[in-house]
Amino acid sequence: MTPERIATLVARWARLYTRRLPAPIAERRIEELGADVHDHIAHERAHGTGDRLIALGLLSRLVRGLPADVSWRGRHSPVARSVVRVALVTAAILLVPLVAMQLSGGVAWSPADFAVAAVLIGGAGLLQQLTARRVSDLTYRAAAGLALAAGFLLAWTALAVGVVREPDDPLNAMCAGVLAVGAVGAVLARGRPRGMARALLATALAQALAAAVALVASLAGGPTDRLGSVADVLGVNGLFVLLFAGSAWLFARAGRGSRAPVPAPHRSGHHDR
Amino acid sequence: MARRKPGTLLPIETEILEAALAMQRTQQATFHGFGLAQTLREQRGSRSLTGHGTLYKALGRLERFGLLTSTWEDAPAAEGRPRRRLYALTQQGAEAAERALAARPAPSATSPVPRLAPKPA
Repeated sequence: MTPERIATLVARWARLYTRRLPAPIAERRIEELGADVHDHIAHERAHGTGDRLIALGLLSRLVRGLPADVSWRGRHSPVARSVVRVALVTAAILLVPLVAMQLSGGVAWSPADFAVAAVLIGGAGLLQQLTARRVSDLTYRAAAGLALAAGFLLAWTALAVGVVREPDDPLNAMCAGVLAVGAVGAVLARGRPRGMARALLATALAQALAAAVALVASLAGGPTDRLGSVADVLGVNGLFVLLFAGSAWLFARAGRGSRAPVPAPHRSGHHDR
Repeated sequence: MARRKPGTLLPIETEILEAALAMQRTQQATFHGFGLAQTLREQRGSRSLTGHGTLYKALGRLERFGLLTSTWEDAPAAEGRPRRRLYALTQQGAEAAERALAARPAPSATSPVPRLAPKPA
């Protein structure tokens, strides 16, 4: 182990944790560290310190600074910060059923349940963060938040308790179709408010159609008390129709006077640190 | 890592400001990262130098707060070695350092006096 080898390691680590940061920030950190390491080695050699001890000292400084390096990187990389924030919130939410399982026999989540919940919560959170970063218009943000909340609730309800009868009822698969309409519509709209309004309106109509199919199936299949009450089907599906339609209305309002989402102000880190 | 209360400085930041103030008083207007790490080691009476990440993250924060400023060393002054980033205390930083020193309990007569000016590398 030589000081030069550790110096190379320090430089590689610096290049790694400054990757994809704005060039002025990355270059400053790399150059400043290079000067520090050079000074460190020169100073110790001038004082007669052995190479092994110098290398150990450098390695120690590198290792003890790792947490701060990672934290500094997070501060300068808003995307990484958003991902960490969403991951923490998701973990915090999932702690609730985990703790409840220890306290009550009535809560029994399988690892698959946790995985699905993590994907749903994390996915919704990431989309929300993406929207908040891209758009500053509050109406647009509210519309997107409502659409995401409705989509999340629909998926959660369909998987957990069933929008139509029990979760394993094939009619619940229609919820996937409703969500697909919204997702495809959003992709086609490319985030433009008016296009998003149309996509969400189509989603609301798809939800209404799913409710109509469920009602027809219920009425055709036997007594309503066996199939779940008509009021339940109408109530649950009606709520989602209202949520998607409400989101469409907000998108339409956001679209008045603008054809593209208003970009959010750039919030990356300072260029000199 | 220590958590920050709003409007307060972390211990490492206070230490840096105090070291910078002491250097300023000895007519050393600017300092660089490794020199500061040496000074901090002597201030603490420690054997190890501050970790790279800890040191430069703290310097960056102090600069962001307007307590320090920094510029690159001129290329001729570097004399062939990698150029250093030179830091200097701002007026606001000097006031913050004075306040930190005033709030600190007086050292005992037997405690060693740290050498605050870094030796040239």
